[in-house]
Amino acid sequence: MKTKAKGRTKIVVSLKEYSLETVRYAAHAASSAARVFIRTSGRDAAVAEFEPTGKLPGAKIAAAFKAELEDEKLRASVYEANRELRDFMILKALAASEAAQKLPQDDSGLTPEQEKELDALIAQVESEIKQEAAAGASADPLGITKTWEDKYGAKKSRKKN
Amino acid sequence: MALKKAAKRTEPSGPPQLLWRRDGAECLVTNDFGHYAWLKRKDFDLLLAGRLGEKHPAYAALADKGFIRDRLDFDGLAAKWRSKNAYLNSGPGLHILVLTLRCNHKCLYCQSSAAGVGSKDTDMSAATAKKCVDFAFQSPNPGITIEFQGGEPLLNWEALKAAVLHARAKAKKAGKDLRLALVSNFSLMTEEKAQFLMENEVSICTSLDGPADLHNRNRVFCGGNSHAATVKWLKFFQARHARQVPEYRVFKPSALLTVSRYSLGRHKEIIDEYVKAGLEDIFIRPLAPIGYAKNLWGQIGYDAKAFGKFYLESLDYILKLNRAGVTLREKMASMMLDKIINSRDPGYLDARCPCGAAIGQIAYNYNGDLYTCDEGRMVGWEGDDAFKIGNVRKDPYRKVMTSGAARACVLSSNLESQPDCARCAYKPYCGVCPVYNYETQGSLWGDMAVNDRCGLFKGTFGALFAMLKKPANEAILKKWVAK
Amino acid sequence: MGGKMKKIPVTSVTADAAVYSAEALRLAAFVFSDKAEAVIKPVKGGFQVSFRNEVPGFHPGDYFNEALNQQCRLDLAKKNSKAAGMIATKALLSAAGEAGKKA
Repeated sequence: MKTKAKGRTKIVVSLKEYSLETVRYAAHAASSAARVFIRTSGRDAAVAEFEPTGKLPGAKIAAAFKAELEDEKLRASVYEANRELRDFMILKALAASEAAQKLPQDDSGLTPEQEKELDALIAQVESEIKQEAAAGASADPLGITKTWEDKYGAKKSRKKN
Repeated sequence: MALKKAAKRTEPSGPPQLLWRRDGAECLVTNDFGHYAWLKRKDFDLLLAGRLGEKHPAYAALADKGFIRDRLDFDGLAAKWRSKNAYLNSGPGLHILVLTLRCNHKCLYCQSSAAGVGSKDTDMSAATAKKCVDFAFQSPNPGITIEFQGGEPLLNWEALKAAVLHARAKAKKAGKDLRLALVSNFSLMTEEKAQFLMENEVSICTSLDGPADLHNRNRVFCGGNSHAATVKWLKFFQARHARQVPEYRVFKPSALLTVSRYSLGRHKEIIDEYVKAGLEDIFIRPLAPIGYAKNLWGQIGYDAKAFGKFYLESLDYILKLNRAGVTLREKMASMMLDKIINSRDPGYLDARCPCGAAIGQIAYNYNGDLYTCDEGRMVGWEGDDAFKIGNVRKDPYRKVMTSGAARACVLSSNLESQPDCARCAYKPYCGVCPVYNYETQGSLWGDMAVNDRCGLFKGTFGALFAMLKKPANEAILKKWVAK
Repeated sequence: MGGKMKKIPVTSVTADAAVYSAEALRLAAFVFSDKAEAVIKPVKGGFQVSFRNEVPGFHPGDYFNEALNQQCRLDLAKKNSKAAGMIATKALLSAAGEAGKKA
């Protein structure tokens, strides 16, 4: 729902459909073209008010904000689906580079301490996933409650052939 | 790279980790490993839903690039990330020695806030210069580049000589790969000095802002014709480069372009001047409102849109010349393309995560004060030591590297912590500048939504990705960064 | 001494605490400290932000854009601190020559 007053555009956003964090970021993205102010309206809605600062009219800013809401919602789900994997990949990359610098190359590229750290991280991730599943997550379209092995294949020896 | 076989699934595999930028009916997708792909809208939607089937024509290429969640080659992708971020393993490689603040030019945009030639107590002593060299060699980086700057470094010839000889001797003992570079306006160059520099394998860089009227308007030299001196010595060093001797290696001289408001609209003349001067690289550098340039911004500055237009027009013209057989590369484009195409770190400290402040470079002021970078040093000259990280005479290496300013710059230039950058499709190739943010927006973090430098970089990346879509341009651009 | 003191007008805006945290408002106040003095006071449901000694051209909307910017950064830090921390730590340790050493 959109209302206009004195060059300002107000958009009401349902917090049932978008998180407040999503609304914040989408509004922030629009702040390149407008002064933005957000307040909540009860528990289920947020109101974002835009006052254009440049040539872009309020209607276009509103359209850009709505498009950004959708994209930010998508981003949040992509991010959540991949957060542990990202952390794992960065750790793997950093740990391997350290091992390459300091020690004679072993087959896995990780020192025993680093392998242990990696195993601990994997165990922690699996435990968190299991906890979430036990806490009663209903639909699981992104496979978050699946174990590591189910998602990525059984853990093979990290020694290269 | 062989595709790993995924277990048979009946349900969608889930969205891969990726960043995207919508562009009309298409979408540019990138990921942390530096890979990119252009997708039509519907394919992008399928990919995000985890429903892009194996039989899809783009599937294999996307899987190869880490965009298919079920087919991730962990070792290969981790290696790619490592290569792209190799600089995280080394300390500062670039060490900028500001031998003097004195200068015989009064360049309009001078960010080094140069002092007049007669200024007292603004020269680095030979002893301090040697201490700076010693400090630089404490960096764990196996490759050290020492760059002599000013003011005009040739005004402090004794310190320059002392530093060069000391560095060469030290490199032999330390077993480090040492490169020496001089950034000079050439007005005080002599054959004797040139000979010393060549014998000690000091690479030479100068500024060339275009044809004489434009160059001299930007770079005011009361003692003569700045453009004439620049071109004369460029030719000298080029001729010596062409006649190599076995005793030492003479590097090709290079030049930098600083774009002022007077440069806008004259891109063809500027580029033609570079070709005429026999240069094969042109570094089209935007002006930043830091240091002295801040005071004259109303006269010589411009916004990101204006620079973007100039840059695109320049790039178009350079590609046109390339197609006609002229060898000329744009340096900023080359560095960005090295990241995009080769997943390689080109050593461009401005476009790193975190940026090169302190951890990639150190600026050594004439008095031994150490700064995160040359821009940070310029802020210091204005009386604000926000970017000072120590003093070469008083502070040990480790203390400098773990100083508050160094840590603050690392944190604030980490794109993973920047709300806009963390979501941006250009994140794998980009970087922020805490000094720029501080000077223009009042905080190290800045606000990328309204940050002109961000706008400028986005414009450049947008142009490059669009050019890479056209086969004729792609071939030339790939040649610029061929391994 | 006589006559009434002229009341200096102060711009005040109430910020919703669900949207803008105190930390974000404080950080924005620091960034804008050369443009206006922002006084932040907790009130029911939020914070009252009053502006004093504004320089010409200052607009409270710009302050709130900065507060939103800071809030988005804080939101991101909650989610991304592990990845961000690994990179920053590695960079600093390597530069200090400490990478690979045991703690």
